[in-house]
Amino acid sequence: MPDSIAQLIDLGHQYHGGSELFKDVTLNITKGSFYFLTGPSGSGKSSLLKMLYLDLKPEWGTIRLFGEDIKQLNPSLIPHLRQKIGVVFQEFKLLDHLKVVDNVSLPLRVQGKDAQSSRKKAQELLDWVGLGDTLDIYPHALSGGQKQRVAIARAVIAQPQLLLADEPTGNVDDEMAMKILYLLEELNRAGTAVVFATHNFRLLERSSYPQLVLGEQTISLLTKGEALHDESF
Amino acid sequence: MTNHSDLPLNKDITARFVPKIVALMVYLGTLCFVFTLFMIHSSSSWKQGFTTQLSIEIPALENTSSNFLQSQVLDLLKKTPGIEHAAAVPQKEMATLFRSLIGEEIDIDLFSLPSIIDVSLKTQEIIDIQKLTNSLKRISPDIHLTDQRPWQNQVLNLINTSILIAFSITLLVILAAFATAAFATKTSLLIHRQVIEILSLIGATPSYIAKQFQHHALKQALLASAIGSCLAFLTFFVIITLLEQADFSCSLNSSFFSQTLCVFVLIPFVTAFAIMFAVRYVVIKELNS
Repeated sequence: MPDSIAQLIDLGHQYHGGSELFKDVTLNITKGSFYFLTGPSGSGKSSLLKMLYLDLKPEWGTIRLFGEDIKQLNPSLIPHLRQKIGVVFQEFKLLDHLKVVDNVSLPLRVQGKDAQSSRKKAQELLDWVGLGDTLDIYPHALSGGQKQRVAIARAVIAQPQLLLADEPTGNVDDEMAMKILYLLEELNRAGTAVVFATHNFRLLERSSYPQLVLGEQTISLLTKGEALHDESF
Repeated sequence: MTNHSDLPLNKDITARFVPKIVALMVYLGTLCFVFTLFMIHSSSSWKQGFTTQLSIEIPALENTSSNFLQSQVLDLLKKTPGIEHAAAVPQKEMATLFRSLIGEEIDIDLFSLPSIIDVSLKTQEIIDIQKLTNSLKRISPDIHLTDQRPWQNQVLNLINTSILIAFSITLLVILAAFATAAFATKTSLLIHRQVIEILSLIGATPSYIAKQFQHHALKQALLASAIGSCLAFLTFFVIITLLEQADFSCSLNSSFFSQTLCVFVLIPFVTAFAIMFAVRYVVIKELNS
């Protein structure tokens, strides 16, 4: 599958000694696709995303990421695969000792881009997310919503092929949530596949993207019409 | 190579104690190494002084001419295989030697001085000392042969052992400096575990993370080892000045001083780069494991 970014085949996971989180999850995330990932708390949304950014190994099944079977993956290739993935972490994971602009430009520096152009691009992105006046301040001085926007700017700066967003609108108002959605849509139009984990019903209602619903230990793919009648979460 | 530090390495506790330990280690290691150089130079000048391996003493006898016995002995030595060179110590030199032993007040002309023949041996050939002794006894039973080699070897062994010990201490000090750097790096990796985890999730390679540590280590080690080396130089300078004031005649040549100066200049760079590579190795090893 030439356009395939991530293939999940019969994926299953359970935490040590715990009950099954999910099983038999099969999904193909292609270039330019956009999925909402929803489901009740504890259904395994974050775990599924962790597996996609190679922070968690599945107990069962196969994940093929950019054509590589992650179970047979040479560990030295992991950073290179991660460089193709942008992640908005639920808990932001900003570096408190770095200024906002340096946090945002971090993925570019990690990829070996020069500091000056990385900073310029970070400035542009921060302007876009409405934080152009916070370049030289440190994350601890930001509000939750501002941190979230910085985290989003950092996740998209390197124009990843796959963007995984874990509750990226959890700490922002509706207006900002929509703005974040537009940002991700813009990125998606440029070819980035997006998996957007959210509980935000307003967003789900307003957009027409398919929803991956985790629940009852399995995953279902719902179109917008189906999702409106689904009450599993 | 990035100039930007993504890890707050300057703020962790290792940044406070490691430079002090490295400075101390460089100070001790440099002094030990300079002492090793001193011993090597001293041993080489002493080795050059050990030209006489055998000494033949011909006592002044009443009924036999000393010169006659001396020429007989020299003839015998010429014919003996394994002998490189043999020459009688001039009487004037003998008189000076005796005067230094018995004092200036006593007239040396009152004594009949013995003759001494210094013999140097060919290094490649083995000489039969017993056979030579017997031949000398046949010329005169009062002639005495002294083999200087056993004590010379003892002195050289002692010097070589000192060099080995000094060099081993230098190596131990260097190893201790590396162990400190490695331990501090491991501690630092633990302290910054969360930041490293975030960097890894963003796609930082172990090499990228190691670069941050190695640049920090290079800066710290350069400064610390420069301080250590300067202090060692000052100590060396004080010791040399004190020795000169005490009129201690140590046969040190200009090559020793130029080599020592090179040590003081090069040590900070060698140490800093060695620590930098050690730190890089530790970080990559830890991250890959």
